[in-house]
Amino acid sequence: MPKRRDILAVVLIVLPWTLLITVWHQSAITPLLAIRKDDSHASRSNSRNTFALKESCSQQNRDIVEVVRTEYVYSRPPPWSDVLPTIHVITPTYSRPVQKAELTRLANTFLHVPNLHWILVEDSQRRTSLVSQLLKDSGLNYTHLNVETPRNYKVRGDTRDPRIPRGTMQRNLALRWLRETFSVNNSQPGIVYFADDDNTYSLELFEEMRFTRKVSVWPVAFVGGLRYESPKVNTLGKVFGWKTVFDPHRPFAIDMAGFAVNLHLILYKPQAYFKLRGVKGGYQESSLLKELVTLNDLEPKAANCTKVLVWHTRTEKPVLVNEGKKGFTDSNVEI
Amino acid sequence: MAARMKLKLKTVFVLYFMVSLMGLIYALMQLGQRCDCTEHDMPKDRTISRLRGELHRLQEQMKKTEATKPPQMLPAKQSLPTIFVITPTYARLVQKAELTRLSQTFLHVPQLHWILVEDSPHKTPLVTNFLAKSGLTYTHLHTPTPKDRKLQEGDPSWLKPRGAEQRNEGLRWLREDRRAQLGADSQQGVVYFADDDNTYSLQLFEEMRSTQRVSVWPVGLVGGMRYERPVVEGGKVVRFHTGWRPSRPFPLDMAGFAVSLKLVLANQDACFDGDAPMGFLESSFLQGLATMEELEPKADNCTKVLVWHTRTEKPKMKREEALQAQGLGSDTTVESFK
Repeated sequence: MPKRRDILAVVLIVLPWTLLITVWHQSAITPLLAIRKDDSHASRSNSRNTFALKESCSQQNRDIVEVVRTEYVYSRPPPWSDVLPTIHVITPTYSRPVQKAELTRLANTFLHVPNLHWILVEDSQRRTSLVSQLLKDSGLNYTHLNVETPRNYKVRGDTRDPRIPRGTMQRNLALRWLRETFSVNNSQPGIVYFADDDNTYSLELFEEMRFTRKVSVWPVAFVGGLRYESPKVNTLGKVFGWKTVFDPHRPFAIDMAGFAVNLHLILYKPQAYFKLRGVKGGYQESSLLKELVTLNDLEPKAANCTKVLVWHTRTEKPVLVNEGKKGFTDSNVEI
Repeated sequence: MAARMKLKLKTVFVLYFMVSLMGLIYALMQLGQRCDCTEHDMPKDRTISRLRGELHRLQEQMKKTEATKPPQMLPAKQSLPTIFVITPTYARLVQKAELTRLSQTFLHVPQLHWILVEDSPHKTPLVTNFLAKSGLTYTHLHTPTPKDRKLQEGDPSWLKPRGAEQRNEGLRWLREDRRAQLGADSQQGVVYFADDDNTYSLQLFEEMRSTQRVSVWPVGLVGGMRYERPVVEGGKVVRFHTGWRPSRPFPLDMAGFAVSLKLVLANQDACFDGDAPMGFLESSFLQGLATMEELEPKADNCTKVLVWHTRTEKPKMKREEALQAQGLGSDTTVESFK
């Protein structure tokens, strides 16, 4: 009888400890299984190995715990992250021979940027199939809008008349869409950037603008007839002027590609739009920014505005002399 | 006395067992559940998550900068033929911008080896630093164009063929490099000549990867037309649809064809003739490599445009020049061009 009791006693001691060990071992694997199930959210990435540390809110941190993706550069676009602010890129575009080429290489750039939302606004009566198909095939997160600039506001022929700002109505439409889609009380962080379809953007630029609190600024190459224009930054890291030749006394002597605005600020000031009528050349950016910030609130980026991360390139208009009157090439082939 | 002792011990054990069992059951119940994260949603946690994300991103970037070493590819990828892209480039205002957006396209293409050849007597720091940060597999070469073949200021772009010496240098390096490599895999590949101001879709590279000898496809915005293309009938190229000198042996643009590496290595003397008349540069290379009948049409029997011959405007520097005359030019240590 005593022997049995002893055995019973020993079993009663050992049992809870074995249970404990198996349970802890199991718990190390369960979060892994939970993460694998949610992989459908990021469908395009290849071979992701996830090693999870036991964390109480593993759901929220699932994007942080992903480790080496051996084929990172080939997964496009990068999986959406829950913690990075979204960059809403507003691009006005219009039909011309180089449009598809411009949008193609722009898309190739954007495919590298995590949490990018492309708002492409066509200057047309209807959304064209060229742009719709391109956006669909790209794999990017996008919104496709359109609004036609009334004829008397459009640039006539080739003349670069700076008094008629191109793309204004399209940018304003995008701002309106943002205000209708996101509410002021929504805490989703976001940045708004106006990117023209013929400029060149480095990938570093998007990471610089991502943590803008109000409005951030940086130098832009090839604008204002200079190698680059840039804000003047003092030793305290505050913008106090503009290093430009063309009208440096503008309230914001900066190019469209030289600033980004926090989404919250856009939503908070719903009356701020680009001025459509009566805007002098080079004052378009000021017409929006003066409603949003003062000079003092500007945040200089790109190493205190000493690095050039965006170039205001312009693509030559191709000379289509050999097309002739009737068009030598098959118009059904899309270029 | 002993019996009582045993009795006490027994109750102790039973108690102990019950307590630990309760604890385990409680822990097991907690495991399957999602926790109510709103209580835990503290700003510190968010900052930590964000920082972790940034750290992860930086680590990825570091990995990219080490990509100049031959990348350790998974075995599955080794079966993809490498695309060797030869790009001549020269210093001008928009050079860095052009190379930047070109590299952003190339970064999406697996098994791509970029051979960038500068028109310069030495390697420039701009290109050297750019390539090091690009994350691509690359080879950086340089060779200057002789003065009589160089375009002078004010010359129209079509006056002299450009980039011939640089492309030949790329070919020379490739042939030399492959001679030193062993293994059947190293002789597999495709050679493509990509100028630094054109626009390439990602699909183009997948089309050219299967080139056996010489493959061809349409090119947009070239030859004074919306596009130029080979005309395909019965799966073979029968003629070329071009508005300019269609009687050339190969009325193609540089961006409109690719050659298999095997063919390049088998024809050690095939190169570009810098003295060829305008528009005959491509023909000077392709002649002897393949006949028109042997050309492989890609891009849906040459009906889709996957590459565009875009050209970038020269930025107007009037104000810069005016400033420089006053000694107030913009800071040249800030690199946006060289």
